[in-house]
Amino acid sequence: MGCVTPLTQMTAEPLLSLQDLTVRFRLPQGETVAVDGVSLDLAPGEVLGIVGESGSGKSQILYALMGLLASNGRAGGRALFQGQDLLALTEAQLDRVRGQDISMIFQDPMTSLNPYTRVVDQLAEGLIVHKGLSRADARAEGVRMLDRVRIPDAARRARLYPHEFSGGMRQRVMIAMALLARPKLLLADEPTTALDVTIQAQVLDLMAELGRETGTAIVLVTHDLGVVARLCDRVAVLYGGRVMEEAKAEALFDTPSHPYTRGLLAAMPRLESPLTPRLGTIPGTPRSGGGDLPGCPFAARCTERLDHCTTTRPVLQSTAPDRRSACHLIEAAT
Amino acid sequence: MLRFIGKRLWHGGLTLAALVTLTFFVMRLAPGGPFSRNRKISPEVQANIEAAFHLDEPLWMQFGRFVWGVLRWDLGPSTKHRDYSVNDLIASGLPYSLTIGFWAIVIAALVGIALGMAGALRRNSVPDYLAGTVGVVGIAVPIFVIGPLFQAFFSLRLGWFPVGGVNDGARSLILPVIVLALPNIAYISRLTRTSMIETLRENHVRTARAKGVGWRRVLTSHVLTGALLPVIAYLGPATAAIITGSILIETMFAVPGIGRHFVDAALNRDYPLVMGITLLYGGLLILFNIGTDVIRAILDPRIRNER
Repeated sequence: MGCVTPLTQMTAEPLLSLQDLTVRFRLPQGETVAVDGVSLDLAPGEVLGIVGESGSGKSQILYALMGLLASNGRAGGRALFQGQDLLALTEAQLDRVRGQDISMIFQDPMTSLNPYTRVVDQLAEGLIVHKGLSRADARAEGVRMLDRVRIPDAARRARLYPHEFSGGMRQRVMIAMALLARPKLLLADEPTTALDVTIQAQVLDLMAELGRETGTAIVLVTHDLGVVARLCDRVAVLYGGRVMEEAKAEALFDTPSHPYTRGLLAAMPRLESPLTPRLGTIPGTPRSGGGDLPGCPFAARCTERLDHCTTTRPVLQSTAPDRRSACHLIEAAT
Repeated sequence: MLRFIGKRLWHGGLTLAALVTLTFFVMRLAPGGPFSRNRKISPEVQANIEAAFHLDEPLWMQFGRFVWGVLRWDLGPSTKHRDYSVNDLIASGLPYSLTIGFWAIVIAALVGIALGMAGALRRNSVPDYLAGTVGVVGIAVPIFVIGPLFQAFFSLRLGWFPVGGVNDGARSLILPVIVLALPNIAYISRLTRTSMIETLRENHVRTARAKGVGWRRVLTSHVLTGALLPVIAYLGPATAAIITGSILIETMFAVPGIGRHFVDAALNRDYPLVMGITLLYGGLLILFNIGTDVIRAILDPRIRNER
């Protein structure tokens, strides 16, 4: 742990501090590692993007924080939220944090709302349970929030059921529900992946805007680098359950230092670059799960692999102010 | 909602009419009749009897007579049970079948749902294995094996209940109710368990947990509805089947219900009784199906909004 240097130089206490977070799943064929020693800090009000391919473990980080891992999953390490280790809490203690100080928005808005309950009652539920509001007050508050996420005719629509809403509207309902309690931290798990491209931007901007207003810090998990560029202050690139690189968003896009980040950026279409017949791809298939690995998880696909990449684990270390990277190439260069 | 019910009733009425018409004519297609016996009767006597029951009339007239009778709430005389009308036969047997069936389905629903939920919430625990065992035994072992076993043990060995008959009040109905409930307990508990496990995995349940409203509330207001919908769908037809009586149970425990008429009437070509039983069973089945549809529509807005 001693070599892990925290990135944020802010004097303020971080809101969330992941320390060597691991998530493992017991499977019939043995144990698999989804998140492999992730350490990240998040300042109050900050927007952190976690990017990675499918199976890189990015969503499992959020589930671990919320105590929502599948029953065969187990989280290790520490996740300090305002100094309190979320992983050490019982289900009942966690219920005093979830939905109040930490909220979560899920990937699929079509199935994430209760189909049997009116939208307004789903919004009101948290307020009734956590804040002890009366049903009428909680409903009024819910309608107000629907209005703020720009659901037209909110008072009438609030009494409808989720299936009477479009996908984009449902995700805005989820955002309203998540921000209703004015949480300090919002966890968003690919909130726009299931939506039409045309409304993805709307939903993201809305989330960011409301987050800024309420001073809510956001952890945004996505595989969409465009989304990251649009919203995030800081980015962590995840591969095989480990942080490959972490930097301010602009710095990451301008000067990616890790071979994997460079591969990711090459695979992203850009307006300013000449139109090439093919987008860049990273050769090989992403590593997902599996047991412990001695070297760098990306080594098998890396074009700049050194001899000891497969045998020695590169350490995430500071390469510049506000920057960390885990790569033997960078170690060799410095 | 009223339109929904009205529409279902209208469709149900049509179905029942089609069912009854089909039964009427198909039954007449089968060879033999109510008075064709091995015993020789003179043709004159035969003709007299058939005239008395209007069997000499053309088929369409007989059908018209039957429909007219149904409209006047009169199903006509039984051709087998002399001096009894079909109305009498049903009226005398139905209360027994109704009582046994009602309690059987209530017990089956309560115990089955409880066992299923316990199994789903504590998977691979002792109650789960217990419910699983009860389920396999209840489904696999037929009623005609369980029935006599219960009679031998609880009636003959322990003397707690009478072996059969209905002369002992409620006590004499306990064994038939339990034996009738057992297979349904088994089936309902399996159904509840599966559907509950499925619901627990749903995304909106995860959303509810993320809201931190507490496990108990997650269960009652976010899991239960979805988990019970398939069970309710099963309960409708099952209730109709169970309260119209089971010939096995009624024969085994000597209960004078209407279950035995199902087979007897068809074998004896007792045309009016067959029609009466068909009408009763078909009507109940349709009514209970509408009932479950209504309950499901109340619970699930997506069903309510279907066209």
